[in-house]
Amino acid sequence: MPTPPTPVITVHDAAKTYTTPAGDFPALRDVSLTVAPGEFVTVTGRSGSGKSTLLNLLAGIDRPTSGSVVIAGTDVHTLPESRLSSWRGRTIGMVFQFFQLLPTLTIAENVMLPMDFCATRPPRERHPHALHLLDTVGIADHADKLPAALSGGQQQRAAIARALANNPPVLLADEPTGNLDSATADMILELFTAQADTGTAIVMVTHERDLSTWAHRQIHLADGRIAHQDTP
Amino acid sequence: MTRPRYTKIRRDMRQARGRILLMTTAVAVSLIAIGAMLTARTVVTREASANYTATRPASATLDIAGGITPDLLTQVRTRPGITDATARQTLTARVRTGDTWHKMLLFVIDADDPLRISRFDIERGTWPPPADGILLERSAQALLDNPTAVTVTAPGGQPATFTVTGAVHDAAAQERTAYGYLTPQGLTRLGPTPTHHQLKTSIAGDQHTVDTRARELATWLTSQGHTVNAITAPPAGRHPHQSQIDSVTLLFLGFAAAALLLAAAVVATTLGGMLAQQTRQIGILKTLGATTTQILGTYLLLTLAVATAALLLAAAPAILAGLALADATAGLLNLDITDTSIPTWVLAALAATGLGTPLLVALAPLTRAARTTVRAALDHRGTTPPATTRAVRPARGNRLVSLALRNALRRRGRLALTLALLTAGGALFTGGLSTANAWNTWVDDGLARRHYDAEITLTRPAPAHRLTELLRGVPGLTAAEPLSSAPAVPVRGGQVEPARTYPDGGHGAFNLVALPPQSRLTDFELLRGRHLRDGEPGTAVLNQTAATRLGDPAPGTHVTLRAAGTDTTLRVVGVVAEVGGPATAYTAHEPQATATAVRLAYDDPAALTRAEQRLADAGIAAATVVPTAELRTAVDEHVLILIQTLVALAALMAVVGTLGLASAMGIAVTERTREFGIMQTLGATPRTVRLTLILEGTAIGLAGSLLAVAAGLPAAALVGDMLGTLSFGLPLPLAPSRGGMAAWAALGVAAAAAATLTAARRAGRLTVKDTLTYE
Repeated sequence: MPTPPTPVITVHDAAKTYTTPAGDFPALRDVSLTVAPGEFVTVTGRSGSGKSTLLNLLAGIDRPTSGSVVIAGTDVHTLPESRLSSWRGRTIGMVFQFFQLLPTLTIAENVMLPMDFCATRPPRERHPHALHLLDTVGIADHADKLPAALSGGQQQRAAIARALANNPPVLLADEPTGNLDSATADMILELFTAQADTGTAIVMVTHERDLSTWAHRQIHLADGRIAHQDTP
Repeated sequence: MTRPRYTKIRRDMRQARGRILLMTTAVAVSLIAIGAMLTARTVVTREASANYTATRPASATLDIAGGITPDLLTQVRTRPGITDATARQTLTARVRTGDTWHKMLLFVIDADDPLRISRFDIERGTWPPPADGILLERSAQALLDNPTAVTVTAPGGQPATFTVTGAVHDAAAQERTAYGYLTPQGLTRLGPTPTHHQLKTSIAGDQHTVDTRARELATWLTSQGHTVNAITAPPAGRHPHQSQIDSVTLLFLGFAAAALLLAAAVVATTLGGMLAQQTRQIGILKTLGATTTQILGTYLLLTLAVATAALLLAAAPAILAGLALADATAGLLNLDITDTSIPTWVLAALAATGLGTPLLVALAPLTRAARTTVRAALDHRGTTPPATTRAVRPARGNRLVSLALRNALRRRGRLALTLALLTAGGALFTGGLSTANAWNTWVDDGLARRHYDAEITLTRPAPAHRLTELLRGVPGLTAAEPLSSAPAVPVRGGQVEPARTYPDGGHGAFNLVALPPQSRLTDFELLRGRHLRDGEPGTAVLNQTAATRLGDPAPGTHVTLRAAGTDTTLRVVGVVAEVGGPATAYTAHEPQATATAVRLAYDDPAALTRAEQRLADAGIAAATVVPTAELRTAVDEHVLILIQTLVALAALMAVVGTLGLASAMGIAVTERTREFGIMQTLGATPRTVRLTLILEGTAIGLAGSLLAVAAGLPAAALVGDMLGTLSFGLPLPLAPSRGGMAAWAALGVAAAAAATLTAARRAGRLTVKDTLTYE
C-alpha cells in the first residue's frame, strides 16, 4: 500500500474567537484538516461561517486563539510578525476576489513584485519569468498594460500569475471567481486545476456550493465548524 | 530594469503630484529661509571680521596727557609685547553742509604715518591730503550728500572750509557720524594745536594679554613722568556689532529651523494621509512577501525624493537670498563684501538639514504605517468611525454645520496635528509681528522719556548756572538743562579696567553723567531701587548697560569709576532703562558745578540756532549738536533690517501653516471619497458636498487662528526677551500686534477656506459611480 504524501497544510484543533463590543464571537471552533501537495480543496459556507477566518489562519494573517497551523513544515501560529511577511512571500500565493493588483504598476511589474521582495530570483531573470507566468495564464500580450486597462477575468489571471511568482507550495484564494462571469470563472478554475496538477496545494474559499467538477475535496463550514467534507 | 517597488513609488508620486508639490513647496520655502539665514550669517560674520581686521585696529590705545613725541614713540615700540605703535589725535568736531551741522570725528594723522595701525582703504583721492583738503569716510559722503567742500569746526577753534579730496573706507566707522581724515597742517587751520595724545599700539595675544601689556606700558609711561589718562582696548578682533550679528542671526536661524520643523510636520501629515490611502496596498504588499523594513524603506525613499527635490529647488534661491541679506546688512554696517564664497560646511549643513529633517519627522508615521498588520490593512475602509461609541446628541440648528464639525472631529490625531501646524505657524507669525511692534513701542517709549530735542556738547566746561542764565528767555526754547559728562572706566579691586570703547567713542563706551536730580528732561523708567535725590552726593543710578558692565550691583552696593584721572566711589541707588545710550552712571549734578553739555527742549526748531548763538556770543562754543531725532534714526538703522527679516520669516510661517491645512483637507477628501458617493445617492448635491468640506476647513482654520493668537503671546515674549536683551540688555515689553493678530485670524480662516476649496471642488466633481467604485 503506497504511503500517503506528507500534508503541506495541517490544521489541528484551531479555534479563533474575536472580541467585539457586543462580546466574544467564536469565528472558528476546533477545526482540524490536512491538505496534501497537489490537492485542490474548496471551502464553502454561508457568510459568517468562518471561511475567511480559516483562510486568514492559513495565510498567517490571523493567529488562532488555540490549536495549531503548520504550513510546509512551519508552525505559522508561532512565527514572529517580523518573519511572517517573507515566509508568506515564499510559501503562500494569495488570490483575492477584487484582484488587488497595484494600480500604478503594469501587469508584468505586479508579477515581479513578490520576486523583488523575496529576492527569489536574480533581478535579470525576474521580467522573463513574469512574462512566462503571464503566458501560462494566457495574458502575456497584456504584460505592459496597467490593471485598469484589463477586464476582470484578465486581472484575476494576472493576480494568479503574481501569486505563483515565487513558486509557492500553497495557493490560497478568497472568492476568486466571485466577481467574474461564469465563463471567465470556469477559465480561472481550470487554471487552478492545472496548477494543482503541478503539485501546488490549493485552498479556495467560495460561496458556490458545487465545484465538484474542479475540486478534489469540498469542505463545508457552518458556525465555525466543519459540517462535512465531500470527496468527488 | 528598475525594481517594481521603485517604479511604484515613482508612479505614486506622479499620481499624487498635487500633494508632492505641496510637500516639496513647504520644505523648499523653509529651506530657503534656513539657507538664507545660514548664508547671511556666515558671510556677514566672516566679512565683518575680515573688514574690521583689515583696518588693523589698535589693540590698545593709551591717552597720554601732553602728547607723544617721536622719541617716546620709538621707545614704546621697543617695549615688551608691543609689536608696533603710532601716535594719533582724534577730535570730536562738527561739519556743516548747507545749513545742517553733523557730528564729526576728525582723525589727525601725520603725512608720513605708515598707516600700519588703524588704517583705512582709499577709494578715491590720495593720502595725505593738502593742508586745505580732507578725506571723508564713504558713509560720511552719503550722510553729507556727497559734498565737494565741507565747513568744519573743531572745539576751541574757528570754522574752516576744506576741499573733499577723496573718500576712504574705514570698516570701523559707525552710523550717523561723519569721519574725516586730515593732517596736522589741516588741523592747524581749525585752531587747535596738533597734539598726538593717542598712543595706538599693536599687541599680539588674547584680550588678557592685551590688557596686561597695555597696563604694563601705562605703568612704564607713568614711571617716565607721563600721565596716562585712559587705556582703551576694544574686544580684540571683534567688529563693534559682532556680538549682535552673532546673536541676531542665530535667533533668525532658530526661526528658520522652526519653519523647517513645521514643513517637516506638513510632510509627515501628508505622507500619513497618502499612507492611509494606501493601507490596503500595504496589506497586499505584505501578502506578496514585503517585510516591514522593505515597505518602510520604500516610503522613506519617497520622502527622500521630496526632500531632495525641495533641496534642489531651494539651494539657489537660498544662497541668493542669503547673499542679498548679507549685502543689505553689510551696507548697514559699512562693510565691503569682498568674498561671496559659501563655505562647504554651509552647503553640507543645508543638505543634511533639508534631507534629514523630513526623514526624521516622517519616520514615526511611516513606521506606524509599515507595521500595519495584513489583517488591519485589508480591513481598512479609508475612514475611521467616530472615536466614541456613545450615543451622539442629535444635531441642532444647521445640519450641514453639524456634519462639518463632526467630520472635523473624526480623525482627532490628524486634527490635532493640523491645529498644531496652524497654531505653530500662526504663533510664530503673530509672535514675529508682535516682536516688531514691541521693538517700536520700546524705542518710542524709551525715546519719549527724553523730553529734550537736542544736546549741545561744549568745547570747554562752563558753570552750569551761567548756562542756565544765558539760555533763559531764548525765543522758542522751553527748557535748558546743563549736565556734565565724562568718559569713565570701572575700577575693580584697585585695578583700572581698560575701557572697551571703540574709536567712534560710542560703541563700548562708559560715561559718568551728572544730571540735575529733579531733571525735567529725562524720565527713564526705574527698573529697581530709586531715582537720584537732591542733597545726596556720592550716589548713582545706573542704566541697564552700565549695570551689566558692573556685574549687576544691587542697590546699596558701592562702585568705583575713574573719570579724568580721578577715582570716584559711588553708592548705587537704582537702575533705569535707557534706550539708545551707552553704559552710563548718573550722579546728581550740583547747580554750582561746571557742565560739559546742555540739553534743550524747544517748540521752534530755530530756537536751537538761537541758543547756540547766545552761547557763542558769551564765548561758549559748541563742539557738537545732536538732535534727539538723530538718535532715533541711529537706533532704527540698527534694527530696520532685523525687523524686516523677522516679518519675512513670519510670512513664511504663514505659508507653511496654510500648506499644512491644504494638505490635511486634501487627505480628508480622498479618504471620504466613498462617503461623498453615498451622500449623493441620498440626494446631496455636489454643492452640498463642497459646502460641507469648506465649512469643515473653515472651522479648523478658525480654531487654529484662535489658538495661534493665544500661543503668539508667549512666543512674542520669548523672542522679545532674547532680542531686547541682545540689543539693549533688557527684555522687550510685551506689545501684542493687534493688526498682526487680526491679520492672522482673517488669513487663517480665508486660507483655510481657500485651501479647502480645491479639495472641495474635486469632491464636488466626483460622480456617484466614481465614488462608489473608489478603492
